[in-house]
Amino acid sequence: MSRLDEELKIALARHEPPEDFAERIAARIALGQATREKESEHWWRPILRFLNPGMPLQRLFEAPRARWAVIGVVACLVLATFGGYRYREYQKELAQAEIAKAQVMYALQIASTKLNTAQRKALGVVSQSSHSN
Amino acid sequence: MDDLLARAATGDQAAFSDLVRAHQGMVFGLAYNYLRDRALAEELAQDVFLSLYRHLASIESPAHLKFWLRKVTSHRCIDVARRQRVRVEQFSDEMPEPASPFRQPDPMLSATLRRLVATLPDGPRMVVTLRYQEDLEPSEIATILDMPVNTVKSHLRRSIQILREKVTRYLGEEVEV
Repeated sequence: MSRLDEELKIALARHEPPEDFAERIAARIALGQATREKESEHWWRPILRFLNPGMPLQRLFEAPRARWAVIGVVACLVLATFGGYRYREYQKELAQAEIAKAQVMYALQIASTKLNTAQRKALGVVSQSSHSN
Repeated sequence: MDDLLARAATGDQAAFSDLVRAHQGMVFGLAYNYLRDRALAEELAQDVFLSLYRHLASIESPAHLKFWLRKVTSHRCIDVARRQRVRVEQFSDEMPEPASPFRQPDPMLSATLRRLVATLPDGPRMVVTLRYQEDLEPSEIATILDMPVNTVKSHLRRSIQILREKVTRYLGEEVEV
């Protein structure tokens, strides 16, 4: 081995990083895991935390089956409430239509009676004038 | 070491930290000897170990671990140097000659050599670093750098020739090489 080889080995010997190097890597790994967990948190958790600060419902949401069952029940309740509201609106509109229909029928009845009376009077006047002639 | 690797692969943080301690001199040394910048070398070495943490499942043995670390560190060093054009300590031909031509003490020669190595082109610089820091054979360097063995050999030959000429000129006398 030449002198230059030996000198290069000395010049390019391994170097040790700062003492806490391994600890800093461990901290970066922990930080990365925490960030990944935060990123992968389900979308519904913050909503649930806001609506349910005591978190008894959260435990129910942890099991996937229970979560879907709760979501199903909530969806049914929302649909039933909305459906009931729409049905009541429909019934109200139907009742109003019936009233309007009855009023129109009554108005037509009055108009018809008045027309009949007027017709009768008109026919009476015509027959009286023909007799006098 | 096998046991350490197996435990680290199962998520044992302490075992992984021990693995880091066992190899940090090699990884940080390669990065520092190549980049000549402590902060940059430390950041790169940390990234290499974080990458190792993610790829632990694919590491088959301690030998494979060493090979993997050398390969990833070398390639990242070359990438960083190419991106940032790191030439921290320029040592050009215009550098003033020393006042007297007597032989420098060895620490001075080491410092001179480190600065001279830093002036080599990216590829040959890594070849020289792996050869002299890790004491690797040209065939091993070729595998790590994905380079033909003959290219490694010619890089080494040419680099040594350049270093010999420059160190002789700088020290003002013929160095027995």
